[in-house]
Amino acid sequence: MTVADLKSGRKARIKTIDFTHPSSFRVMEYGFTPGQEIEIMNKAFLGDPLSVSLRGTLIAIRKTDAKCIELDGEE
Amino acid sequence: MQSVLSLTAKNKNTLHGKSNSTPQSKLHSKSLITLVGSPNSGKTTLFNHLSGRKSRTVNYPGATVEYSYADFLECFSVNSKILDSPGIISLIPSSPDEKVTIENLFRHKIFGTPDLFVVTLDASQLSRHLLPALQLKDTGVNVILVITMRDILNQKGYDIELAEIRSLTGCDAVFFDGISGYGKEELSVLINYHLNNPDIPDIIVTAPGPELKEVNLINLFRRIERISENVIIKYDNSSGLTPDITNANKSLVIAGYDRKGLNKPDRTTLKIDSFMLHKYWGIVIFLCIMAFTFTSIFWLASPVMNLIDFIFRYSADYFTDAAGDSWFSDFISNGIIGGTGGVLVFLPQIVILFFILGVLEDSGYLARGAMLIDKPLSKIGLNGRSFAPMLSGFACAIPAIMAARTIQNKRERYITIFIIPLMSCSARLPVYGLLVSYLFGDEHFYSGITLAAIYLFGILSSLVVAGFINKYRSSFIKVEDNSSFIMELPVYRIPQFGFVFKSTLDNSWQYVKKAGPIILSFSVVLWIFTYFPNPDPQFKVTEGLSTEQISFLKSSERISNSYAASFGKIIEPLMKPIGLDWRVGVSLIATFAAREVFVSSLALIFKVTENEGNTRESLVNAMHTAETGTGGKKLFTFPAIIGLIVFFVFALQCISTLAVTRKETGGWRIPIIQLAAYSILAYMLAFITFNGLNLLM
Ligand SMILES: Nc1nc2c(ncn2[C@@H]2O[C@H](COP(=O)(O)OP(=O)(O)OP(=O)(O)O)[C@@H](O)[C@H]2O)c(=O)[nH]1
Ligand SMILES: [Mg+2]
Repeated sequence: MTVADLKSGRKARIKTIDFTHPSSFRVMEYGFTPGQEIEIMNKAFLGDPLSVSLRGTLIAIRKTDAKCIELDGEE
Repeated sequence: MQSVLSLTAKNKNTLHGKSNSTPQSKLHSKSLITLVGSPNSGKTTLFNHLSGRKSRTVNYPGATVEYSYADFLECFSVNSKILDSPGIISLIPSSPDEKVTIENLFRHKIFGTPDLFVVTLDASQLSRHLLPALQLKDTGVNVILVITMRDILNQKGYDIELAEIRSLTGCDAVFFDGISGYGKEELSVLINYHLNNPDIPDIIVTAPGPELKEVNLINLFRRIERISENVIIKYDNSSGLTPDITNANKSLVIAGYDRKGLNKPDRTTLKIDSFMLHKYWGIVIFLCIMAFTFTSIFWLASPVMNLIDFIFRYSADYFTDAAGDSWFSDFISNGIIGGTGGVLVFLPQIVILFFILGVLEDSGYLARGAMLIDKPLSKIGLNGRSFAPMLSGFACAIPAIMAARTIQNKRERYITIFIIPLMSCSARLPVYGLLVSYLFGDEHFYSGITLAAIYLFGILSSLVVAGFINKYRSSFIKVEDNSSFIMELPVYRIPQFGFVFKSTLDNSWQYVKKAGPIILSFSVVLWIFTYFPNPDPQFKVTEGLSTEQISFLKSSERISNSYAASFGKIIEPLMKPIGLDWRVGVSLIATFAAREVFVSSLALIFKVTENEGNTRESLVNAMHTAETGTGGKKLFTFPAIIGLIVFFVFALQCISTLAVTRKETGGWRIPIIQLAAYSILAYMLAFITFNGLNLLM
C-alpha cells in the first residue's frame, strides 16, 4: 500500500521509498523517509493532491508523486 | 550527472586561497556572506534585519527567486556584503536548471565565492531543514546555523538546545527571532569572529557517485534523526526556570518525554485547513476569495477615486482661470494635469489590489490555493506552482514571470510564462477603469461585476491558450521532464497588517514612480504632436463670430492639420474595422511606452479635439460627446468599447515583459511567438467582438 491509497485521517508508517519512481528523490528530500509516521489531513477537490502531516509540518503532494511512498500496514 | 559536492570540493581550494591571503587585502575587499536555507525558513527576514533593506518576505515557500545583495548596517560593524538566496530543499540538483541554481550558491557569476554561509533553519521543522544545512557543512565550507521561528516551536511546547546542536553538527549556532529581530547582535559578533578566524576544516569531501545518491541521503537522514532527537527538549515556560536549571533537568527529561506533540502540525492551522481544504467547501471558498479580490478592487476604491478626480479637475480648471487662454495654459491643464490625473485616479484600485494580494501571501493561504488548483491546472500543462506567479501577474507580469522559476518542470514553466501576460496587470487597471466607468458611470455594482468579468475573461483565455499549447506541446518545447507537485504548506498566521500596508504603499509608490515620468513625457510629446505644426491658424472671415466660436474653429483647424492627425491617417484603415478612429489609434500606439499612457493620451487628444476645452469636464464626458470624423455619429459605441477591452486583454504592449521572458527562457523564440500570437489574437478578437455586437444590436 502507498500513501496515495491511504484514507483521510488514517495514520501509517513509511516502509520504503520506491526508487524507480522519477519523483522518489524529491519526495525523500522533503522528509518522507522510512520509519516516519504520516497522516492524511485533507484532500483537495476530486481527492488530489493530498495534504499530509509529516515531521510536524504539512506537505501537499500529488497522488502520482505519493505513489512511491510505500507504507507498513495501517496502525 | 556530476555531483555538486565534487564541485565544491574543488571550490574549497579557491576558498582557502582567498581566506589565507594577507589580512591587509581582506581589509580592502569586502568579504561575502551568503544566506542559505530551506524555503520559508526566514532568510529574507534575516537579510532585512541585517541590511536594513525592505525585501519582500512572504509566508509562502519560494518567495525569493532572485539573489539580492546588500551591505551590513553600520551598527553591526561587519565589513561584509550579504547575499540573500532563493530557498532550496537540498543541495543535490534534480534537473539541469537546479544544478545552475546550486552552483550559483558556491560561485556566483557576479557576486563570487562566499567566505561564509549562514544557514537558516525553522525550529519547528528542524529535521527537514537540517538537510541542506548538513549537506552544505559536508562540503567543507564555513557554516553558521541560525535557528528561526523558535516562537512556533515553543508554542508546541518544545525548545532547542543550542549547545547540543553545536556539538552534533560542528557548526556555530544562534537563535534569531524574525519578528523582534532579537539575536541579530549575537549573530553579527559570531560572523565577525568567523570572518577573522577563517578556520576551514580539512575534510576532503569525496563526491558520491550518482548510484550512491539514495544511500547517501538515507545516511544523512539517519544523522538528522539523531541530531533532532538530541537537541529538541521539552519547553515549559510556566515553570520559570532559568536555562541552566532546564539544562540540568534535561538529562532526566530526555529519556522518556513525549515526542508525539512534536510530530503534530500546528493545531490552529489544522483547524483552519479543515475549512480551507475541505473536500467540497475548499474549492467554493477558493472561488469566493478570488471573486472577492477582483470585485472589491472596484467598489472599495470608488469613494477615494472620486475625490482624486475632483482634485485634479479642480486644479486644472483653477489653472486655466489663472493663466488665461494661451498655448501654455492649454498645455498645463490638458497635457499635464489632465494626463496624469487620468491615470492617478485609478491609484486607489491599484493600492487595494496590492493590499489584498499582500494579505493572501502573508496569511499562508497562497500555498493552499496552489494545492487546490493543482489538479485542474495539471490537465492543461500547468502546475499548482503556477498559481502564485499567475496571481502576482495581476500586479505586474515582470516579477510574476521571474516567480515561475519555482516550477521545476521546464515545459510547465514555459507555458506559465507564456500565459502570464493574459493576467490583467495593474497597468491595465486604469484602462479598464476608464472604459468601464464610461459604460456604467456611477453604478458601482455593475462596474464591479464588469471589472471582475474582464479579469475572469483574461483568466479563462489564459487557460484556453495553455490548453492549446499543451496539445501541441512537442512543437512548443521538446524537453520531457518529470512533472510533480510537492509543496510545504506553511502555518497560517494573522497577516501583519501594518507591514502589509507599508509594503503596499511602497509598491504603489514604485508604480507611480515608474509610470509617472513615462506618462508625463508622453503627454508632452503627444501635446506637441497635436498642437503643431500649425499652432495659430488664421481665418479670413471672422466678422460676426463670437470669440468662443473663433477659438473652437482654431482648435479644430489646428488639430486636423497636426502631426498626430497626419500620422493617424496612416493607421486609420486599421482602426476602422474595430470601430475606432485615428485618435484612439494614436493612443494605442502610445501604449507601447506603458499601458497607462492610453488613458492620459486619450485625455489629451479628446479634450483638445472635442469642443470648447472645458477642463472641468471629466474624460468620460469628453468621450461621450466624441463623434466620428465623418458622419457626426457617436464614436465610442458599446460594441467599440467592448472590442477595445477585448483588445487590451490580449495585446502584449509591454516591452519589459518581452525582455524578461527572453531572459527567463534563454532566447527570443518564446517572446517572439508571444508577441505575434497575442497581437494577432487581440486584433482579430476585437474585430469579431465589435462586428458581432453590431450585428446583434
Ligand atoms: N513566527 C515567526 N515568523 C517568522 C520568523 N522569521 C520569519 N518569519 C516569517 O516567516 C515567513 C517567511 O520568511 P521569509 O524571510 O520570507 O523566508 P525565506 O527563507 O526568505 O523564504 P523563501 O524566499 O521562500 O525561501 C514570513 O512570513 C516571515 O514573516 C520568526 O522568527 N518567527
Ligand atoms: Mg526569501
